[in-house]
Amino acid sequence: MDLRGKTGLLIDDVAEMRNAVRIQLADAGIQSCDSVRNVKEAVVKLTARRYDLVVCDYNLGQGADGQQLLELVRRNKLLPLTTAFLMITGETGYEQVSTAAEFAPDDYLLKPFTSDVLATRLSRILDKKEALAPIYKHMGAKGDKALALAACDQVLAEQPRYATDVLRLKGDLLLALNRIDEALALYESVLQQRATPWAAVGKARALAASGKDDEAKEGLQQALAAYPNYLAAYDSLAGLLQKTDKVAAQQIVEQALKVAPSTRRQRQLGSLALENRDFSRAEEAYKRAVDKDRTGFFKSFDDYAGLAKSCSEQGKTQEALAAVKDMGVHFTRSPELAAHQAATEAGVQLRAGNTAAAQAALETALAVSKDANLAPETALAVAQACFASGRNNEAKAIIQAVAEDHHENDEVLAQAQSVFSAAGMGSEGAMFLEATRKRMVKLNNDAVAMAKAGQLDEAVTMLAEAADRLTNNCQVAINAALAVLMQAQKQGPTPEHFALALRYILQARKVNADYPRLGEVIAFYRKLAPPGTPPIPEQ
Amino acid sequence: MDHLIAAAIHDAKNSLSSLGVWLDKARGEHDSAALHHAADLAARVNAQLVELLALHRAGEGSLRLAIADHNLADFLADLQTELPPGAERVLQVANADSLGEWAFDAYLVKFVLLDALRNALRHAHARVKLSAVIEVGHLHFRIEDDGPGFPAAVLQGEQGVMSTHSSGLGLSFARIIAERHATPDGRHGRIELHNDSGARFCLVLP
Repeated sequence: MDLRGKTGLLIDDVAEMRNAVRIQLADAGIQSCDSVRNVKEAVVKLTARRYDLVVCDYNLGQGADGQQLLELVRRNKLLPLTTAFLMITGETGYEQVSTAAEFAPDDYLLKPFTSDVLATRLSRILDKKEALAPIYKHMGAKGDKALALAACDQVLAEQPRYATDVLRLKGDLLLALNRIDEALALYESVLQQRATPWAAVGKARALAASGKDDEAKEGLQQALAAYPNYLAAYDSLAGLLQKTDKVAAQQIVEQALKVAPSTRRQRQLGSLALENRDFSRAEEAYKRAVDKDRTGFFKSFDDYAGLAKSCSEQGKTQEALAAVKDMGVHFTRSPELAAHQAATEAGVQLRAGNTAAAQAALETALAVSKDANLAPETALAVAQACFASGRNNEAKAIIQAVAEDHHENDEVLAQAQSVFSAAGMGSEGAMFLEATRKRMVKLNNDAVAMAKAGQLDEAVTMLAEAADRLTNNCQVAINAALAVLMQAQKQGPTPEHFALALRYILQARKVNADYPRLGEVIAFYRKLAPPGTPPIPEQ
Repeated sequence: MDHLIAAAIHDAKNSLSSLGVWLDKARGEHDSAALHHAADLAARVNAQLVELLALHRAGEGSLRLAIADHNLADFLADLQTELPPGAERVLQVANADSLGEWAFDAYLVKFVLLDALRNALRHAHARVKLSAVIEVGHLHFRIEDDGPGFPAAVLQGEQGVMSTHSSGLGLSFARIIAERHATPDGRHGRIELHNDSGARFCLVLP
């Protein structure tokens, strides 16, 4: 691949290294190259534009590393799959880079290296990216996994050199599409040819997805014995153990942390240790999470809340309150911060026996959550504080609102379940959440049935009420838009119809631009809209 | 004490890496055969330190291989950029384009093969052959030369007698790295040494 004309982003905290690598990139033909010093600047650049390639040093200073940055930008969809990501590392960092789990760099390069080697590696990655482009095309924000899967078979036939990469993508897609038997067959056929870590872990994931947890765990344990540096195996095994044996899960996370430190795993360890009532270990883990990352990019409210809770449970009230205060130092002022701080403080004061202070903090948290549309995690933290103070009805009301707003989001529902479980109400919570979810499904089904039966005004009233209340519920917003458009089609379109439909379409798109039926509704809008109707803005 | 050893090796490696940068700079300004040899020597000492560090870690139970898929043709191409001066006149590398990928620790295996190649190049009359072959579920990296062959003591597996130029570090390292390549079903790698029409070194990976 000719590197001339490609655009690059170079990330390194050391000025001399930046200059040296930039010259090497220019030698390789890459004239158009931005260079930045740290995570913050990298995020700004990657948000503003798309690059053909990113060259990033592993050590970024301030307790941040290139692997954390890669995970951050991949999770937040700031780095398209078509962009090459090359990690540069010294020999000490190499061990951590080479273990990368869910988000691995496309390649890594050990310092020192020549311009020729840099050019060879980059052009190799870009060749691969080009070959896999037909698949990546359907894996982005507006992608369709079924089309991506079809593209896998096409690329597999036309580009045998990249068979392994395609099979890996295909396995992930099959698992994501819940086509478990096909995924299992794929991994088994790879493993018949040769042993390789990704297929061993993929097979275990497929087994777990078909309910064979014990077989999956055994497979992962064997994989770890053979591939002690393969973090994906630790992550999968810890995830499975978490369901049945949290002490064993904690041990696996501890082992993974020995292989490679990461703020995310320290947080996971802290949370497991809290649940296992291993408070000193939890304190240590959260402290590391809070202290290591001096950029603030990888920290969460949970790290400070967890630190406060683990101190408080050991009777260290002053340290716990200091953690609550530190939370305020490290995050900018917002209703989210205020709610988290107050909810955490309520727990600490309660544990210390300061009932009045606990009540006051809880009132603050409740007041904030009434006024602001809080993130589900934040609202659930307030609910947890309510349960701790015995205010169960208020807790349930908050959880119900969260669950209705996110009834299709398994992750949020699982978090809600763990709030019930922490309050010792696990089975009651499970029934409560299931009932809420069913009610939402019924609301949507009833409204759609009414619309189909021609009772469009009733359907619109019902869905519009729900969509105005549940602003994070994609399904409700899409059905509301659909019902309004059907009403327009039947009763004759007015500008008000399109204004309302557009509002619900944008509401849905803001929550989840990938939502399966969104495209269909947008097409319907465009079909019905007479000339002069406001168009749907591009994203 | 143990971490001091590892830290000292790391320090030495960092110094060597700086030395490498200076030597590159010097060669950029005025290249000479002497500088070329100096750079090669620095690379050799670096390789020995890598081996020493791996053995040290194996001893204290903290050596963990990073096994991942690597394209064999690309791997062999990269390996050839790190050979000692003059190697290209003697070395033949078999085409590996059709072999696809294999899972191994490319960093450590590279040092195993570079060490074996240096050894072969030192003893060969005129020819060294490097090839990769996949046979019954194993990958074989073979290095064959047309020299006098391994001494009997080496073939019998005695430690510390690789050759008069070597402490035997390289072979101990190769054995450990081979052995640590394992599969979930419990297979391990190995080193095979033969004398045929010269010495034949083979790294077999499961």
